[in-house]
Amino acid sequence: MSSLITNIQGYSIHDGPGIRTVVFLKGCGLNCLWCSNPECISPYPEIGFIKTLCTKCGQCATVCPNEAISAKPGQLPVTNRERCSGCGACSAVCVQEARVLYGKPMSVDEVFEAVKGDQLFYQASGGGITVSGGEPLLQPRFVSELLRKCKQADIHTCIETSGYGSESALRQVMPYTDYILFDLKHLSSALHRRYTGKPNELILNNAKIVISSGLEVLFRMPLIPGINDDPQNIRATADFLYSLGKKPIAIQLMLYHQLGKGKYESLDKPYPLAGLSALEPEQAETVQEMFKARGIDCTISR
Amino acid sequence: MITKSKIDETLLKRIDNLELSDRLFDLKHAMFSAQRKVSVDRIKLAMESWMETEGEDIEIRRAKLFKRILEEVPIAIYNFDIIVGRETEHLVGAPLFLDQVGDAIPGIWDGTDGLDLTQEEREIVKECSRFFAGKTAPDHVKKAWHSLVGTWAEDVTEAKGSDPTPDSGYFPGITCRALWEKILSKGMRGMIAEAQAGIQRFQEMKETDINKYYFWQAAIIVCQAMIDYAKRYAKLAVSLAEKEPDPARKKELYEIAEICEWVPENPARTFHEALQCMNFIIVGRGLEAMYPVLIGRMDQYLRPYFEQDIRDGRITLERAAELVGNAITLWGMKTVVQVGKTQKQTHQFSYSINSINISGVDRKGNDASNELSYLILHMIGLLRLSSPTVLFSWHSQTPRWLLLKALETNYLTKGGIPLFENNEHVVATFVKDGTPVEVAREWYGQGCVTPILPTKIDHNGSEGKGAVNVAFILDLTLHRGVSQITGKKIGIDTGDPCSFKSFEELYEAFKKQYSYVVNRVLWLGTVAQSVEPQYLRFPFNSCIAGPQCMEKGQDIMITDETHSYGISDRAIVDTADSLLAIKKLVFDERKLTMPELLQAIDNNFEGERGEKIRQMCLNAPKFGNDIDEADYMVRDVGEFSASVIYAYQNPFGQPCKVSREGLSWHYFGGLGVGALPNGRKAKEPLNDGSISPMRGMDKLGPTGVLRSALKAGFKESYASCLNQKFSGSAMQSAESREKLAVLIETFFKNGGQHIQFNLVDTAELLDAKAHPEKHRDLVVRVGGFSAYFVMLSPEIQDDIIYRSEHGC
Repeated sequence: MSSLITNIQGYSIHDGPGIRTVVFLKGCGLNCLWCSNPECISPYPEIGFIKTLCTKCGQCATVCPNEAISAKPGQLPVTNRERCSGCGACSAVCVQEARVLYGKPMSVDEVFEAVKGDQLFYQASGGGITVSGGEPLLQPRFVSELLRKCKQADIHTCIETSGYGSESALRQVMPYTDYILFDLKHLSSALHRRYTGKPNELILNNAKIVISSGLEVLFRMPLIPGINDDPQNIRATADFLYSLGKKPIAIQLMLYHQLGKGKYESLDKPYPLAGLSALEPEQAETVQEMFKARGIDCTISR
Repeated sequence: MITKSKIDETLLKRIDNLELSDRLFDLKHAMFSAQRKVSVDRIKLAMESWMETEGEDIEIRRAKLFKRILEEVPIAIYNFDIIVGRETEHLVGAPLFLDQVGDAIPGIWDGTDGLDLTQEEREIVKECSRFFAGKTAPDHVKKAWHSLVGTWAEDVTEAKGSDPTPDSGYFPGITCRALWEKILSKGMRGMIAEAQAGIQRFQEMKETDINKYYFWQAAIIVCQAMIDYAKRYAKLAVSLAEKEPDPARKKELYEIAEICEWVPENPARTFHEALQCMNFIIVGRGLEAMYPVLIGRMDQYLRPYFEQDIRDGRITLERAAELVGNAITLWGMKTVVQVGKTQKQTHQFSYSINSINISGVDRKGNDASNELSYLILHMIGLLRLSSPTVLFSWHSQTPRWLLLKALETNYLTKGGIPLFENNEHVVATFVKDGTPVEVAREWYGQGCVTPILPTKIDHNGSEGKGAVNVAFILDLTLHRGVSQITGKKIGIDTGDPCSFKSFEELYEAFKKQYSYVVNRVLWLGTVAQSVEPQYLRFPFNSCIAGPQCMEKGQDIMITDETHSYGISDRAIVDTADSLLAIKKLVFDERKLTMPELLQAIDNNFEGERGEKIRQMCLNAPKFGNDIDEADYMVRDVGEFSASVIYAYQNPFGQPCKVSREGLSWHYFGGLGVGALPNGRKAKEPLNDGSISPMRGMDKLGPTGVLRSALKAGFKESYASCLNQKFSGSAMQSAESREKLAVLIETFFKNGGQHIQFNLVDTAELLDAKAHPEKHRDLVVRVGGFSAYFVMLSPEIQDDIIYRSEHGC
């Protein structure tokens, strides 16, 4: 069994307890305007092109089996995305690493081996693996098998999910999961659809399932100025969390940033939120206070 | 023995709340924006004195030279000083040491020195250069080497095969901290009494070694000179007080005068006196010789004074903080003018090598962390100083609260301060080499990561034995002993690599070549140690820093069994990666023939074929990615190198130690090394640190690098140097610092030796490069040595920017 992996990132310290390794999968059911991992949205391999690294040598065009790249001497190569199959031939010859293959097929065992190396640091810090993406719930067989292996090896397991996956997928993955990072983007289903492409009922229902499962859950809310930071949505979110249960619910605010911008350019995709500026932690403090006032344990990720 | 008292948590909280006082703000601001000024006063006085004492004994001559300087060098007190004393009258000034290094300021004769000197001052420098040329210790060392091996030493220097040498910023001398406990408890008066006792004994016992007698005479001269120098400040403070309109400052100046009247002549009684005494001693050392400012474990020496004054209410915490801040700023910003050829590769002025240790254990092995350790870290964080180097001596009992404070300081200084070193590894290594464990526990940092003992006089970094360039020796091996860069034959002919039938044959040739070069470097270094004391003595440094000099009546420059020797074998990772690439490409996988590979290297990977071969070389397994064969190759080269070095014994039967430090040497060292089979092009920088992966070649992030470093081990070395670069988010929050603390602890518990973190973002670096004036206090570390970013040369800046972009 294999899956397309865009990155395996060691020493990740912001995605669950302790020192973790985050495995980024490819493919997501949502298409959020603020997504900082645009290379993880499509379930197929893609080629990124970082033009500042390109020396215009033209090698990429000569090896492309689909004739998707046109390179004129002295000019940057242009990729015809319609023709590109993401085969990776161009990135294999690109000496400058200007052409990057997003999505490398890896088996469960290969990913496990890569993750296992940091066991020393997981044990000392209470860390482990975090499967992110992309959406882990879109690949429940791969993810549950990977996490099962990790648990067997005494590695703490975590998934980072948008919640947008089938209930059965969620139930397939949960038994092998110690900790869930669960995103809440907007409480209004209509607005959720506008900003992410999909309504939120499935997500809210899954949120109830994970809470009632008794697993450790940290909700996360990407705080996007003008999109979901209005008092009405914050109150609605707080009410929803409050309604979820007996034990105190925690939410972490993820501040909007533009670090992903370069990746959009590399994919020849427009950056949807051009013009919006990144948030500073201080700007999120009012929102934090609103959650706290409702008895929700709210932190700001930094 | 102080029994371990409970840590006063309220005091720690109060320290956390301390802010930068106006005085310290002014001091820091003034010193940062001050024009760094070369001062010719010291060297002029030295020359005059040397002329007058012609024909006298050398120990006495050097003592009189010191006295003359201390009597007449201009002094100043600035209105924000509460700790007084600088080597020059300038806010940030650098004296010259032509009497120690000879005619060694590059460009002084053709006017390209770039120093901010008036015509008159430049004439003085020239006159002194002319006067001392040919007379100094390095000049005589060069002559000795010449008669032994012809131009070999110069050829090695030219090819950057070893460092430092008389041509590359070498200064004869030793590196060890002052005997702080003794100085603070006895004062100069106590030292004089010891010298007098020596003289008396000499007379009574009718001893015959006149050198001892002269030494004690010299000791009295220099200690008295130190006392009188402090009294000059006392007098100046009084005269300033008389004119001072502000009553608070007036009172302060009178206090300063009283303190300077008392220390360093007498034992320090208060925290303020202790710090003032230390500063005078440091200034005195800095006027006698171009020396590192080694402070050592100040949270131990000063602890009794601090605790007693705080407990008895003799001082407020705020005042104690100001004193610490003032002293550390002065020590950190002590500036020297670079001599020799290194200056073209790095920078013309540099901060003197200096180091403060924090934490560690006491002689019984108990944790030595205390509130003063915490305060020192806090003040360095507030002042955002890049210098002095702060060595955090971690051990398994180091409290988490202090480690977290250290990481907060690291975050505030934006990197490298403090560096973290594994105390347990250092102690174990000293014990393995025969040091009693109680003594081993008292080690301190030499300036970067190299540990030394207070019972020894250390010669690390001097006499051409600071470093040997391992990658350079591989270069020689691949070219039958000829340097690719200079074209000169420096090594021996170890055979034509194209005729080698196996990797083992090549590796053997490298080992032969290595033994030849290293043994010659060590031999010449040891010869230098016998030459130097004939032409250079340091009576003041002997009194205050030589553990047994006073008792023996012997100058610190004269070597014996109390002297310790060490060398840094650098660029091991480059060498191991290159050897492995040859093994894989030529012998295992046969993708290339040796002639093909050598041709590509000799052409610096030029042309299409060359570039293709370079890619194959780059794709060979590299250290830093948890790949067994790459990591074990590093371990193997390291162990071999150490075995050669340890086997070299000095005339007193002491083995040479290995300590793998970094500094910014990898730029300098890289200039002498042709293209390498690891894919590095000719003259490009070598790897920084000593156990850092090849630039841009570690793909797993910091934990992957750490795993590789643990496998490579370097257990045979007293220290190694691993630099890690992080973006701000890795250290900004308390939570992320907790995780970093775990990373450090895990690394060290499993045998790691050293790690330090730089923290910068690319945008800031680029802006700092374009607008240095706005980023004067931006701190970065270059391989174990700290510097302000704006002081670095453009190519070093580019490298840091590169690392920032590709960082974690």
